Amino acid sequence: MKDINKSAQIKLTISRIVVYAILIFLSFLCLFFFYLMFINSTRSHAQLQGGFTLIPSNNFFTNLKNAWNDSDINIPVGMKNSFVVALLSGLLTTYFSALTAYGTYVYNFKLKKFAHLFILAIMMIPSQVSAVGFIQLAFKYGLTNKLWVLIVPSIAAPAVYFYMRQYLEATLPLEMVEAARIDGANEFKIFNQVVLPIMKPAIAVQMIFSFVGSWNNYFMPSLLLNKPNVKTVPVMIATLRSADYSKFDMGKVYMLMLMAILPVMVIYVILSKSIIKGVTSGSVKG
Amino acid sequence: MEKKKNIQKKSISYAKWGYIFIAPFFIIYAIFTLYPQLLTVYNSFFEYYRDGLTVIGPRFVGFENYKTLFNLNSAGYVPIFKFLGNTIWLWVIGALPQFVIAMMLALFFTSTRLNIKGQQFFKTVIYMPNLIMASAFSMLFFALFSQVGPINQLLISSGMASQPINFLGMQVTVQSLIGLMNFLMWFGNTTILLMAGIQGIDESLFESARLDGSTSTQVFFNITMPLLMPIFIYVFITSMIGGIQMFDVPQVLTNGYGIPDNTSTTMIMYLNNFLGISKNYGMAGAVSVLLFIITAILSSFVFKSINSNNK
Amino acid sequence: MAEVQLKNIKKIYPIGDTGKKQRRFLKKAKEENPETNKVNLQITDEGVVAVQEFNLDIKDKEFIVLVGPSGCGKSTTLRMVAGLEEISSGELYIDGVLMNSVEPKDRDIAMVFQSYALYPHMSVYDNMAYSLKIKKVPKDEIDRKVREAAEILDITQYLDRKPKALSGGQRQRVAIGRAIVRNPKVLLMDEPLSNLDAKLRNQMRAEIIKLRKRINTTFIYVTHDQTEAMTLGDRIVVMKDGFIQQIGTPQQVYDHPSNLFVSGFIGTPQMNYFDAKLEIENGKYVVKVGDYAVTLADEKQERLKAKDVKAQDVTLGVRPDHIVLSDKGIKGTVDVSELMGSSCHLHMSVNGKDVIAIVPTEGKEVDYVNKDVMISFNGNVCHLFSKEDQLNLEY
Repeated sequence: MKDINKSAQIKLTISRIVVYAILIFLSFLCLFFFYLMFINSTRSHAQLQGGFTLIPSNNFFTNLKNAWNDSDINIPVGMKNSFVVALLSGLLTTYFSALTAYGTYVYNFKLKKFAHLFILAIMMIPSQVSAVGFIQLAFKYGLTNKLWVLIVPSIAAPAVYFYMRQYLEATLPLEMVEAARIDGANEFKIFNQVVLPIMKPAIAVQMIFSFVGSWNNYFMPSLLLNKPNVKTVPVMIATLRSADYSKFDMGKVYMLMLMAILPVMVIYVILSKSIIKGVTSGSVKG
Repeated sequence: MEKKKNIQKKSISYAKWGYIFIAPFFIIYAIFTLYPQLLTVYNSFFEYYRDGLTVIGPRFVGFENYKTLFNLNSAGYVPIFKFLGNTIWLWVIGALPQFVIAMMLALFFTSTRLNIKGQQFFKTVIYMPNLIMASAFSMLFFALFSQVGPINQLLISSGMASQPINFLGMQVTVQSLIGLMNFLMWFGNTTILLMAGIQGIDESLFESARLDGSTSTQVFFNITMPLLMPIFIYVFITSMIGGIQMFDVPQVLTNGYGIPDNTSTTMIMYLNNFLGISKNYGMAGAVSVLLFIITAILSSFVFKSINSNNK
Repeated sequence: MAEVQLKNIKKIYPIGDTGKKQRRFLKKAKEENPETNKVNLQITDEGVVAVQEFNLDIKDKEFIVLVGPSGCGKSTTLRMVAGLEEISSGELYIDGVLMNSVEPKDRDIAMVFQSYALYPHMSVYDNMAYSLKIKKVPKDEIDRKVREAAEILDITQYLDRKPKALSGGQRQRVAIGRAIVRNPKVLLMDEPLSNLDAKLRNQMRAEIIKLRKRINTTFIYVTHDQTEAMTLGDRIVVMKDGFIQQIGTPQQVYDHPSNLFVSGFIGTPQMNYFDAKLEIENGKYVVKVGDYAVTLADEKQERLKAKDVKAQDVTLGVRPDHIVLSDKGIKGTVDVSELMGSSCHLHMSVNGKDVIAIVPTEGKEVDYVNKDVMISFNGNVCHLFSKEDQLNLEY
């Protein structure tokens, strides 16, 4: 009997060691490239050409200054543009998705079911498939290089709607709405003063995802923005690739990439717990 | 009392508020998605592009664009199948390891016997690449794997290679890098979703199976997998839909050329090329319609699973 | 502070209405009555009729209780008074003013919900102050009113807390506080005690009686619990399947149930029923169960005579506390004996039917179990119901 127990224990220990090894390897893989990027952003061009290293150097602030002041790639403007687009998109998409979800959840009207099913049906259709018409219209009406064209469409975000709707079903009893009605609140007041505060957690999660999504968005901005003063960060990063590569100060290039992903990384480090929780809650439950 | 009389006319039905509240969504959807969508379909039946400074068309050509797309009249176009094939292949080489590893990790994390410590840390790390700007990630890989980049430096200095490897010039390495990036970006996400799925299964089922004498492999195939199936299919299909949209990574890595020889040009890259300087709305429209049909078929499965869950 | 009149009120949930409310209504009714599933709601071409022919005049400051099993339409009726449901037909007056299409906020009513429906993100104070804030009542007046209400309900020390930090009973008080803070003309309560445990429920019931004395307003109270109805109501309205069964004071409803349903629904333990024959002997009405015959009391004789009731088979109802053990009468076998202290509940089978009798113990210990006993009752406690339409033959 003792032997069975012992061999089982050894087996468990071995499998634990293997599992931890796999986990550590995958974690290494996830971090390694970003670590290299960080290291390289601290090195000068000459150092970078000199060879490979994993030890940070002292050129970080020089690279930062060079990147910040680059005349071709105006990263401060890019970051400002990206920030404006991401923040406003996040606000619009969460507010209006909550509003729409509330509309189909609380009220009874003829097209209620149709509206709900319609939104679910279009949820998975990617925006790229309507891009042709969108671009055509944008050029026709002179809407290229306008940031609001990237912001306003986020009012209609089916996936965020779906998330909000599920959240409402789980958290908002209809009696709450009725109580507010009897308290004398009109329908907008009920939504803004009673329902929105209840939905805060859902709004926060979707706000983060929406912010990150539009901060990283490349396809549409790359088609719509070609003036330097309206370009967003991903568009600028992509121009790095198409520019004549050999002329670049590589320290600066790594620094630019670092700056491109840093805001999201900071958000992630602070909010990783709720972000990871948010990953699952948006999907279908078995 | 007079005041009360005025109120009389109003109805206490709240239906109108439902319409008011959902109106912004549908108005914006109609203007920024539906109308462009219809316009896209409409375009696909026209010859309509720019040649230098002159605009050709729009001229109705029926299914001519689609014929060109499928190379039925061989006008020097590469048939769409190549790009569709690329897209699927690039998705597969990322998704296959992604699902295998994610399933494995999900089982590790949920195993009460293994009782993995530091789960929050591991989850945080493996999910992180998902939030990274894909274009920057791709640019980073480009810089790291270029002929003078650190990876080549490392290979040479460690003696594993005698001269720089042209990672970005060979089909196998370019495709592998794209696969690797997609894998890194998505396996954490998939792990978390599958994990949630496994945790949703009644724990006592595993326990009773184990007491019945099942090995962990048997538990996996007889209990975990069948019960996880709806979620697995959901995650799998959404991954496919995501795969069809693959763009940022190969676009930036290959500078939009799908080097070498269009072997890494995806559907959306192909679409993107038509929207560049040539503004070929006709051909781009036809590609979009094809994409729409594929995603519509795929998302009908998702729609079904969501709807059956919402009953 | 108000009279409420309901004139021929009717509520129909249209078939095919995507409405959650209709489904919720039916689902709730079915869930709560799984064993009987006795929701015999009328379904017409227009839809499911939840309430019909509802006529009721509620006097100023009256405490009205709507009582009935799940799905009887009591909550729907209350919600129509509140303005949360549309009235399909009929007229609702508050203080003589037609209210059918007036929005809830303009009806000067307040409501306490079953789930309390407290705003989770607001403190107790803000929950209570919300309606006044919307009305733009001056701040110091809001403060005075909220504190006054809190004082009445003994929740002053919780004013800064969030609802989450309160116990069920405290939340209940806040919900009531939120309703009374605005001195509504009519205070509506929808099963306010059903989420509390038994002990707390008894306590809150007493509190509501006290509350009622302190605030001068009209109460409409919905419950499925007949004890609450009996103890709280000035008048109670017994409902079933969308119809009013009887309106009356608790005493009237208890002593003179208008039909078989009311007789069984009000009073606990439930009334006992016997298959009996109503006969006329020497010009007197006599009710017979098997060989046992009871001559009805004089007032019952008169009422039956006035209605010219014929001899017929009837369902005889006798309340458990009116059954006495005696030397002769109907034979029964005691199955279970429950000692309640001063009295004893005997569960027995009589001709294959279950009958409960409450007999005083009078300090003696008697083991009735498995013994045969003879039960009897006198002529003024018999309730006679028609076999045909189940109505009380006297009225």
